[in-house]
Amino acid sequence: MNAIVDFPVKPEVRPYLDAFDRGAGHNAHAEPDWLARSRRRGIARFAETGFPSRKSESWRYLDLQKLQREPLLPAAAPSGAVLREMGERLAHLALPETGVRLVIVDGRFASELSSTDVPEGVWFGPTCSAVAERPDLLDELIGDVAGDAAHPFAALNAALFGDGYVLAIAPGVALDQPVEIVHLGSGAGAGSFHTRSLVTLGAGSSASILESYAGPETGTEAYWRNDVVGVRLADGAELARSIVVEESAHSVHLAQLDVTLGADAGFTGFALVLGGRTVRQEANVVIAGENARCRLDGAFVVTGTDEVNIVTAVDHRVPGGQTRELLKGVAAGRGHGAFQGRIIVREDAQKTDAHQLSRNLIIGRRAAIDTKPELEIYADDVKCSHGASVGDLDEAALFYLRARGIPAEEARRMLIDGFLREAVDTVGDLATRAHLLRHLARRLANLEE
Amino acid sequence: MQSVFLMLEIRNLHARLSDGREILKGIDLHVAAGEVHAIMGPNGSGKSTLAAVLAGRDGYVVTEGGVRYQGRDLLAMPADERAREGVFLAFQYPVEIPGVNNTYFLRAAVNAQRRHRGEPEVDAGQFLRIVRAKLKLLDIGDDLLQRAVNVGFSGGEKKRNEIFQMAMLEPRLAILDETDSGLDIDALRVVARGVNELRAPDRAIVMITHYQRLLDYVEPDHVHVLQDGRIVQSGDKGLAVELEARGYGAFGEAGGEVPGDAA
Repeated sequence: MNAIVDFPVKPEVRPYLDAFDRGAGHNAHAEPDWLARSRRRGIARFAETGFPSRKSESWRYLDLQKLQREPLLPAAAPSGAVLREMGERLAHLALPETGVRLVIVDGRFASELSSTDVPEGVWFGPTCSAVAERPDLLDELIGDVAGDAAHPFAALNAALFGDGYVLAIAPGVALDQPVEIVHLGSGAGAGSFHTRSLVTLGAGSSASILESYAGPETGTEAYWRNDVVGVRLADGAELARSIVVEESAHSVHLAQLDVTLGADAGFTGFALVLGGRTVRQEANVVIAGENARCRLDGAFVVTGTDEVNIVTAVDHRVPGGQTRELLKGVAAGRGHGAFQGRIIVREDAQKTDAHQLSRNLIIGRRAAIDTKPELEIYADDVKCSHGASVGDLDEAALFYLRARGIPAEEARRMLIDGFLREAVDTVGDLATRAHLLRHLARRLANLEE
Repeated sequence: MQSVFLMLEIRNLHARLSDGREILKGIDLHVAAGEVHAIMGPNGSGKSTLAAVLAGRDGYVVTEGGVRYQGRDLLAMPADERAREGVFLAFQYPVEIPGVNNTYFLRAAVNAQRRHRGEPEVDAGQFLRIVRAKLKLLDIGDDLLQRAVNVGFSGGEKKRNEIFQMAMLEPRLAILDETDSGLDIDALRVVARGVNELRAPDRAIVMITHYQRLLDYVEPDHVHVLQDGRIVQSGDKGLAVELEARGYGAFGEAGGEVPGDAA
């Protein structure tokens, strides 16, 4: 029995409960009551749900057995020496131009690596500072702790988060420069990083975000990143958020993005997943205001025995919403990729226009890709479609390149690059797009088929 | 008198598709450096198969005979090596490659060839200067370069792009597979100018065509009629005129097709 819950829990859950009791990952004494209460709600919820079962539809493609057997408890805050080492890694991962940048190392804000000066009308900083300075914002974030049976790790995240970031923009303010957030894993020890972040845009405001997730380039310490990001766009607000996931060989990356869109708001999400042992990217979008627009695009490369799982759900609740999704996947080696895309159009959501396309390339004889589009339509005056394909490299294109003297291996790389590049080209901000393409090119240069 | 340098020597070439159908049934052809040859024939005579076998496309099996290119066994080389050695095939149906930028592709091709010859690679700036000079020649706009390879190109643009690539790669042996098909008269003139521009004493050109009209603009030294997988007649450019008048039927049992007919 445990002090927090008065019911028996599954064995894989217990270490996390004990860690919570010890105050791991956060400083319970310095926190306001409302946060402490919310943390307790989170851990109780996780104790109830436990790890997701593979019978659960949205978790069926991911193997979490190792994480279940070998717990990864919240990591300690990185030492000064570790942070100094991170500077070099950062230079490799960040945008070449120095702008607004927030760096998180092992799940904790690293102020010495960050520069968070923002113009009037914008609040940007670590979640821990927002707890003290802007509790009004966090009510939204913490108040509705997600944590139904399908989202147990969001509940655990609510309990254990050590930091994260908050970006809040006042109505009518346009941020021209992209805001950059870099999540680094130092590899200093095994453990988990729980980060919780919030982006909230006032009516008619706009911003773009580039978020990178990376572990150490070498090293054998396992880590688990459990990331939850909430996005609220008021009427007419526009947000573009691109992420790059380049985790290490011994990583588990589970990320959940929850977006709510007001009327005429527009969200453009892009995920480039290039590395990590077990990667799951989940995006849930609620079209809550009329005529809101949502793009969810992405590209992934999965090799070795790695797993990548992209899960999207767009819930059209009101009329006139638009959804576009383009997901491209490449599986090599014995890699396994999976895309599950759900679009729900509720009875009131007339004139919804939704299109989803999942295209995949298998280049390893033992690689596999699952793709599962799911349209649930309850309204009668809508335009909805989806498409999915899984195939091999185009032989005719390969011959065309070789007939121009390009060696077979180089020709294959060009086609794989071109295939994924089509998705990356949907990213509007040119600096961000160039950044993503550089990372993609570097990844493909080291692709082991 | 200077001895003739034999660029391409096809000897008793037999080839079949992987499904077993025999398409080429004993082709003999000698092409010397500096010459332009036209190979004409009705649909299904084996013209495109000949081009594919010479370029090294998968899916064909050579069962007899051989091909020598500059004295070397052409069929022993992989397709990309043939290209780097100076064999160029202008495709009848150029392939669309989404996501691969035309300039990037072409520079990769030029640099693959340069590496092969032990020459230094060209950087983006140098490459652009070479490109600009060649573009003028073919009346191609800069925008074509910024697009993905052949994606959204009109039929004429695709064929022009083929000739543009040929101009950039400066092959020793160019094989043009029905490059004239689907072109309006203006595009045909541009393409023909590109081909004529490339005529050189150290280069050979083989034009495969169904129709005689390309030959009005690019005058061949030799014309061959391909019928049912064999060359049934060879002659000078007068043969093409004769074909125009009498149709392929006069040269074999099959059909009474006139090469001037619209497709």
